Amino acid sequence: MSKIGVFVCHCGENISATVDCAKVAETAGKYDGVTFSVDYKYMCSDPGQTLIKNAIAEKGLTGVVVAACSPRMHEPTFRKACAEAGLNPYMCEMANLREHCSWVHEKGDPTTDKAIDLVRVLVEKVKYNQSLNAIKVPVTKTALVIGGGIAGIQASLDIANTGHKVILIEKDPSIGGHMSQLSETFPTLDCSQCILTPRMVEVAQHPNITLYTYAELESLEGFIGNFKAKIRRKSKSLDEKLCTGCGLCTTKCPSKKIPSEFNEGLGMRTAIYVPFPQAVPNKPVIDRKNCTYYTKGKCRICEKVCPTGAIRFDQEDQIVEVEVGAIVLATGFTIKQTDFFPEYGYGKHPDIITGLQFERLASASGPTLGEIRRPSDGKVPQTIVFLSCAGSRDEAKGIPYCSKICCMYIAKHAMLYQHKVHGGKSYVFYMDIRAGGKMYEEFVRRAIEDDGVNYVRGRVSRIYEKNGKLIVKGADTLLGAMPVEIEADMVVLATAGVANEGAEELAQKLHVSYDPYHFFAEAHPKLKPVETNTAGIFLAGACQAPRDIPESVSMASGAAVKVAGLFSQDELTREPLIAVVNRQPAPVYSSCVGCFLCVSACPYQAIEKEEIKDRSGAVIKRVAKVNPGLCQGCGTCVAFCRTKSIDIQGYTHEQMYSEVMALLNEY
Amino acid sequence: MDELRKKAGELLEASAVKVIIGYENGSDGKTRALFAEKPEETARLVFDSRCVMNLATYVTKKEVRNKGRIGLVATLPVMRAVIQLASEHQVDDAGLLVIGITPESKMVEFKDLAEVEAFVHRYQIEIDSKQKEMLDKLEKMTPSERWDFWIRELTPCFKCYACRAACPMCYCHRCTVDFNQPQWVPVPSHELGNIEWHIMRAIHLAGRCVDCDACYNACPLAIPLNLLTKRMLLDAKEHLGGYQPSIKADHLMSTYKPDDKDNFII
Repeated sequence: MSKIGVFVCHCGENISATVDCAKVAETAGKYDGVTFSVDYKYMCSDPGQTLIKNAIAEKGLTGVVVAACSPRMHEPTFRKACAEAGLNPYMCEMANLREHCSWVHEKGDPTTDKAIDLVRVLVEKVKYNQSLNAIKVPVTKTALVIGGGIAGIQASLDIANTGHKVILIEKDPSIGGHMSQLSETFPTLDCSQCILTPRMVEVAQHPNITLYTYAELESLEGFIGNFKAKIRRKSKSLDEKLCTGCGLCTTKCPSKKIPSEFNEGLGMRTAIYVPFPQAVPNKPVIDRKNCTYYTKGKCRICEKVCPTGAIRFDQEDQIVEVEVGAIVLATGFTIKQTDFFPEYGYGKHPDIITGLQFERLASASGPTLGEIRRPSDGKVPQTIVFLSCAGSRDEAKGIPYCSKICCMYIAKHAMLYQHKVHGGKSYVFYMDIRAGGKMYEEFVRRAIEDDGVNYVRGRVSRIYEKNGKLIVKGADTLLGAMPVEIEADMVVLATAGVANEGAEELAQKLHVSYDPYHFFAEAHPKLKPVETNTAGIFLAGACQAPRDIPESVSMASGAAVKVAGLFSQDELTREPLIAVVNRQPAPVYSSCVGCFLCVSACPYQAIEKEEIKDRSGAVIKRVAKVNPGLCQGCGTCVAFCRTKSIDIQGYTHEQMYSEVMALLNEY
Repeated sequence: MDELRKKAGELLEASAVKVIIGYENGSDGKTRALFAEKPEETARLVFDSRCVMNLATYVTKKEVRNKGRIGLVATLPVMRAVIQLASEHQVDDAGLLVIGITPESKMVEFKDLAEVEAFVHRYQIEIDSKQKEMLDKLEKMTPSERWDFWIRELTPCFKCYACRAACPMCYCHRCTVDFNQPQWVPVPSHELGNIEWHIMRAIHLAGRCVDCDACYNACPLAIPLNLLTKRMLLDAKEHLGGYQPSIKADHLMSTYKPDDKDNFII
């Protein structure tokens, strides 16, 4: 016979203001199996916990129901109190009288009746609770960082510097990400590559970092502390050990007219290429889609010229399997291209460019060696127009959010233009200037006041070409929506920052949630900004939302600390609330019929096949077996099992049934 | 027919199989299952349009399996059932040899289950026009009309479980209705118990039912319970890329693809 104690908490007035707690305790005290029932103002306080502990000791309680708040916060508190009093912690259950009752209903008898129901349900459940023991799992102290932009670089270095191993994978041939494409950075105007490339080199040389460029995540299995990742190392068609990075192949390659991704299509590259001179690793890859040998079957010039014989045309993709304990997602973002904007010419005009293309024009390593020249004819534009919020903050375009970085980089662009083209005229069309950040507002004022950039508040309705000029038609809303028409030589669209293509599939591979715009979702917008809902997977940088460099870096360091914290433990304790396939006396052994349909239903690959053998080793029956290390207790297999052979510990069929029947049966 | 008897006899003679499961003449002008263990017994084998029972239901039975390797006379629906059973790890080549009968009533021999699968995949599962008409009629009803229809049809059921016994997919040693700690599905054949049983039976066949109609043919009250499984087959066809039993492929209901539709959820 159960001896259950019911402890009803007032939660100050949070519960008692609408629920008659004394009545709940009194009613619960009359139920079969309840030997002790009491209400108290703050059950989570020290005296409250002592009340529970004393009752366990004095009344010999076999089960405890705490009727208080959501178990999310205080279930560990009360389970710990029970354990301290010698009761198995999993014999303690919480009825949520606050969020599920007092906070959502008005004061009155029906509210108290509902509270009574909630308690009764748990009393009936606790009768079927069984003692459980926490599961200990080891931690693999290696981190996987996905994405080698500034966020991934920072996270890798920070984790590696705590003494733990890091595997950094980057899908492009070089690490560096968008930051390596930038000319100067706001608000200091220091050169982006100058501050980034030393970090890139540090990554390559760090003894704790294994760098896989031109590699992507193929699949992920496992759970916090014990992930198994498959990494696809795309074939570079190159023996990296032999290659010295001399670059002879890239100068001799006959396919020279391939738009360079690094230069945002404003420059050309060869089919065997290093994206940019400071690339890490500084060794080429063959772009098989554009290589003459792969497309037409003839050429192999690079192979002939290579002094070390490093070219490998028959090299295949390689799958590397790694075991990691934590993952940092730093896959970054992308921007909308100009073809997204019918009103601005569908991207057909070469002199209407994106902000990232302007970065390349302004960059000393860019196609014009840092001179601002129009892509169409190479002339220096005398009048230039910058458009902020191209796509962003526009519900009609499906991007209602602010891309955040544009206001600042447009101010920088305009400033750089004024510095480089003396006497040139620059205009910025803006909706609002969002310059929240240290030294940011001062930076924008400098552009307007010192460098003479013309800021026009209003949106541009249309851009079209007329007599070799780009006619920008807009309105100045500060002058009563007065129409403004500017004859420009070049237009820069600050196009919206959006999630990477394939972000959704990656999120599904990793079982992390994402928002409607396919940016990865943090676990809590304020208090858990670098965690995801999947334990052991963290976020850094613009894969979570558009972010500037300082934010990406601080987020990366934050994620690195979370990883280091996780790696500071040798073992993780896991809740034993996992699925178990039943065992029965011979000749049945288990009601499982071994159809193994649960195997494909399990999202965590936690179900294996097990052979039940007799003493001589002959197989009597094949049944499913749940790996306790992998099972997350989601219950999908339980719902899927036709014979009801699987139970979730702590939520067994008997427990759930008794809860339902407690509600259905009249008391 | 002679060809079938001859082949069956040879298999038993050569001990390639220990028992042949086929059809023989029963009482009342109907056919019944024959379990031939001696070559001379194969003379009793018959095959004609009366042979609609799904013999695959016997290959998972312990009493039959204990005899040794089974030779199964299998029409197309029976072969489909065999492939589904193979995908659920209930039969394998070591325990089962299929002697196929094509939809044109021609005997066809198979080396192994992989060949049976290849044969099965030459045909799609088609709902016949009369049943389709009935399904369309049900589809056009309002939810409450449809509910009334099913209450009317299912209330007379007295839970003889002939449908379960006839179904090759109902091979579990312990059926959910026999699960009594706790008793989720009530045993008595009252309205609630009947509805729960039939809904549960149908849902347990989602992505597994091979549309052989054995359940309907076995029902002494001719309850059109096969309409439930046929509806699911149509849903699978319309929304999930269709169902075809397959030894290796993942189960239709337990696999997730990012482009799966969920528009059939009401």
